[in-house]
Amino acid sequence: MKIKKRVLVLIILLLFTILFVNRAINWSADHYEYYTIGEVSEVRERHIDALKCFSCHAYTQKDGFFVQKTEGIYSSPYNLAVTPQDDVLLVTGQESDRLYMIDLKNHQIINSIKVGDRPHSVIVAPDGKMAYVTNQWSGTVSVVDLELGEEINTITVGGGASGIVADFDRNILYVSNTYTANISVVDLNTQTEVKRLRAGSYPSGLNISPDNSTVVAVSQRSVIVEHRDPPRTEVTIIDAATQRVIKRNYFLESHIMEKVEYTPSGDLAFTTLVRPKNLVPAVQVDNGWMMTFALGIISPETGVMVQLPLDEPNLYYADPYDVRITPDGKRAFISHSGNDYITALDVDAIRDVLERVKSGEIVNPENDLLLSESYVLKRIATGSNPKGMTISADGNTLFVAERLTDHIGLIDTHTLEIRDYIALNNANQNAFLRRGEQLFNNAAHTFQYQYSCYSCHPDNHEDGLTYDMAYYPGMDISNVQTLRELSNTSPFKWNGKNVSIYMQCGMRFSKFITRTEVFAPDDLKALVGYITSKIEHPPNIYRGKDDELTESQKRGKELFERTKTNSGKAIPVRDQCITCHPPPNFTDRTLHDVGTATDKDSHPEFKTPHLNNIYESPPYLHDGRAQTLEELWTIYNDDDLHGVANDMTKDQLNDLVEYLRSLGRAEYYYDN
Amino acid sequence: MNITKISVASLLVIATALFLINSGLQNSNQSDEDFSNAEPILAEKTSDLAISDEKDSDSSDFSFNGMPIYGDWVVYTMEDGLPSNKINTVKIDDNRILVGTDRGMAILQNGEWTVYTPEDGLAHRNVLSIDINPSNGDVWIGTMNGLNRWSAGVFERFDQFNSGLANDVVYEVRADTRYTWIATAAGASRFDTYTGQWLIFNEENAPIHEPWTYGITTGGNKAYIAAWGGGVIEYNNDTAQFRVYMDPDGHFNVSLFPDDGLVHDITTGVAYDDGILWVSTYFGLSRYNGQRWWGYFPHNSGLTSDFVNAVKAKYSVGYMATDDGFNTFDGTTWVTYKPAENGNGGVTTISRDEIVKTEITETSISHGFIWNMDIREDIVWVATSHGLSMGKVIGTADDIIL
Repeated sequence: MKIKKRVLVLIILLLFTILFVNRAINWSADHYEYYTIGEVSEVRERHIDALKCFSCHAYTQKDGFFVQKTEGIYSSPYNLAVTPQDDVLLVTGQESDRLYMIDLKNHQIINSIKVGDRPHSVIVAPDGKMAYVTNQWSGTVSVVDLELGEEINTITVGGGASGIVADFDRNILYVSNTYTANISVVDLNTQTEVKRLRAGSYPSGLNISPDNSTVVAVSQRSVIVEHRDPPRTEVTIIDAATQRVIKRNYFLESHIMEKVEYTPSGDLAFTTLVRPKNLVPAVQVDNGWMMTFALGIISPETGVMVQLPLDEPNLYYADPYDVRITPDGKRAFISHSGNDYITALDVDAIRDVLERVKSGEIVNPENDLLLSESYVLKRIATGSNPKGMTISADGNTLFVAERLTDHIGLIDTHTLEIRDYIALNNANQNAFLRRGEQLFNNAAHTFQYQYSCYSCHPDNHEDGLTYDMAYYPGMDISNVQTLRELSNTSPFKWNGKNVSIYMQCGMRFSKFITRTEVFAPDDLKALVGYITSKIEHPPNIYRGKDDELTESQKRGKELFERTKTNSGKAIPVRDQCITCHPPPNFTDRTLHDVGTATDKDSHPEFKTPHLNNIYESPPYLHDGRAQTLEELWTIYNDDDLHGVANDMTKDQLNDLVEYLRSLGRAEYYYDN
Repeated sequence: MNITKISVASLLVIATALFLINSGLQNSNQSDEDFSNAEPILAEKTSDLAISDEKDSDSSDFSFNGMPIYGDWVVYTMEDGLPSNKINTVKIDDNRILVGTDRGMAILQNGEWTVYTPEDGLAHRNVLSIDINPSNGDVWIGTMNGLNRWSAGVFERFDQFNSGLANDVVYEVRADTRYTWIATAAGASRFDTYTGQWLIFNEENAPIHEPWTYGITTGGNKAYIAAWGGGVIEYNNDTAQFRVYMDPDGHFNVSLFPDDGLVHDITTGVAYDDGILWVSTYFGLSRYNGQRWWGYFPHNSGLTSDFVNAVKAKYSVGYMATDDGFNTFDGTTWVTYKPAENGNGGVTTISRDEIVKTEITETSISHGFIWNMDIREDIVWVATSHGLSMGKVIGTADDIIL
């Protein structure tokens, strides 16, 4: 009897297994297909073995166990300075919120000083006793006493403090405020900000001429241009005597200038820049020239601006970040954060090319990729994601912040050989999400190394441009969207075709964009894990202390959530702001026709974008037509299809815009 | 956004303004036609005369060495390079003069005029107001159709479509280190140049009975808004609190009780310096020192007309643009300037208590209808209906009266 029962149970279990496990497998396969490759099935077998439940359900949760427990705390060295005595190297740890002091005799870390949130750049006073560190997410400058080894004061500046330079003769600091698009002028005597100067869009690097007469500041983003015009990115020239802007020059068809450096003679300033071909179809990448990278040369005195290519035919050197020139003015170095290379340049050869450009012998040098062979001395391989650099006072050593290997590379400026490296910490650089971050910042997965994810998504955000990304040229122009806090905002792309980041970065991406082999399964998992779990919005600069809203923002919130027009007429639920933009991410994750499609769009509906930190993302709408938030309603909402708003008065619209600006990280709305 | 309605409202406001302006011109003792026969004497124009090397100073402990008397007037017209003889406003910068006309903005620098129009990026050809941020030197330009920030040669446009600007008709702009204040035909705006945020003050969120704001100024941590029909609204930047100054006599067009407050609710301009608030109206002038008010009319003071288009202040001296001459007053002494009725030279009148002295001058301001002015220690520039005038300090009232 017992045996019969056991047999019966076994038979039932077997049937159950056959019936349900098989279904479970099939369900898993369907589930996987839906979230990764859509209806494509021929690659199913290949990927089904690679992607596990863990792939999506472990490393994509920011606060999840695996992310919290398996990833280390990294230093992520970002920018550097060396004391005038060449005895101490100062390094900002972007991720650790620390300033590292490294003894250059024994290459040991002698201090690690807590500074503000996301330290960016550092400079050191001529006597080597004080350092000044910009904290990008705090909007402050840390004043660090290097003898005491501690921060002794904090100076409040603008949002997104990044580049920093001092005029020590006049006791003045200049700080680029990336998020508020201006430059703080700080009186070092009182250690207070005394004025702000309007800069370009997303100003970043700045530097002062050797004679302390002018300060030059460069910008990451193009100024807002007319729809479908090429980018124009500002170089801001400041008179150091009056601390006023005296010139605004523009590099055409280029952007993402990160750093700038004067030649020792002061006649030229060098900057790094990206030249996107965003107005021609992106599918041309396999024909070359989706994106090129250049050295920008500025003559502050004459206003002459020249761009010289850093690439070679069929080989690109992506995402140039820093530029440094040796004290003798003979050599310049560029860090290519997207290719893990340093390019060494012959400055005299560059001057020769400039003369040929000036004489008319060379026309449009920026498009002649062969030209680089006349001034590139060597390409020096580095660790992952080389960012900031500095040169020792004696001119012999180039220090390179290898951000994603937590190393400082030391390169001999004469032999152009790597001399040594200094490790900042022992965290596992091969950890899963760290690997994803390295992939994100590397152009190796693009045809001829043309660009990385970072190239269009600098600082994990977006570059403010619109691209012709569609299969049919001229159709479906796409405004680049931010990658910050993408969890719970799927589907992706303006047309909502990609239901997951796996799909976004997988097959479709390689087919249409990179024109290379798809990411290997483990790489894809790491990349997606990094994007979905590690990228945050900076703190919202429009929220007050304790996250309290201003009176205007409170009024705007009421308008955002209103159910009746000013005349008391009920607003249909589908036409209320909050219906399609509900917290915490302010997106209903579905497609809507808001009346913004043109004859260049293949369908009228667009995925509702999320609104967290939306102030950081102009221009707006799927094709970047709206230059400001105001224009969404003053120009592009004639028929109230993008929410009922035409009854609003100007001050109400202003309140609504102020409220939108206050929308911060999603976690705030989870908690409230 | 009900832009259409606002645009219609703006047109109505413009039409009303033009009507009032025309009324003012008709009220003027000297019309443009009169001027055409006047032929004011043109003094020699030299660039070093026009612009002193001495820089402006806002130091509150400085004062004029006595009530200044201006003379040696130099007149600039279209013949000199101005785009129009209708001068709406003028602003003195370190080494240049910025002039707002109804046909563009003109800059006088190194003796040369340069004209900027909408083709260069100007929001509209009719430039109504110009101010300069004292810390960074950015020039703010209020026009009949939008606002410009002109920084290192680059025009940036703000309007009611692309920004939080309350309305495109910008009557006055005032730039402080951080905030730029804008008086528009549909409320006042405050632009935070540090953060890019806009605030709008109108009848919905501020005690402004009429949204038509005509003048704006700042002093200390406060802003003062001259609202047409709404008196003066004081806004405290620190506390975000309002205070309203209205005519205690209500809707009477005469001041029933002297010195009881603002002389009229229809205000055209405000100025603040040295702790004194000046308010111009089309029915007289008011002055307030924080404790008490004074009202000035032609019948009780040296004011040449109760139709006061604008007011400025430098230290303790008020400068009034009327439809019948250019006036100055320091609390005790009035000095007024008009072209001579016979067209030969000008008339300067100094009055203190019962003493009145009149001087016939060889040179004169170019026209009696004054729109605005700007002042530095040694010079004054006066925008008139027909030409731009520059006068130098040639003495003090005490030199003449005592």
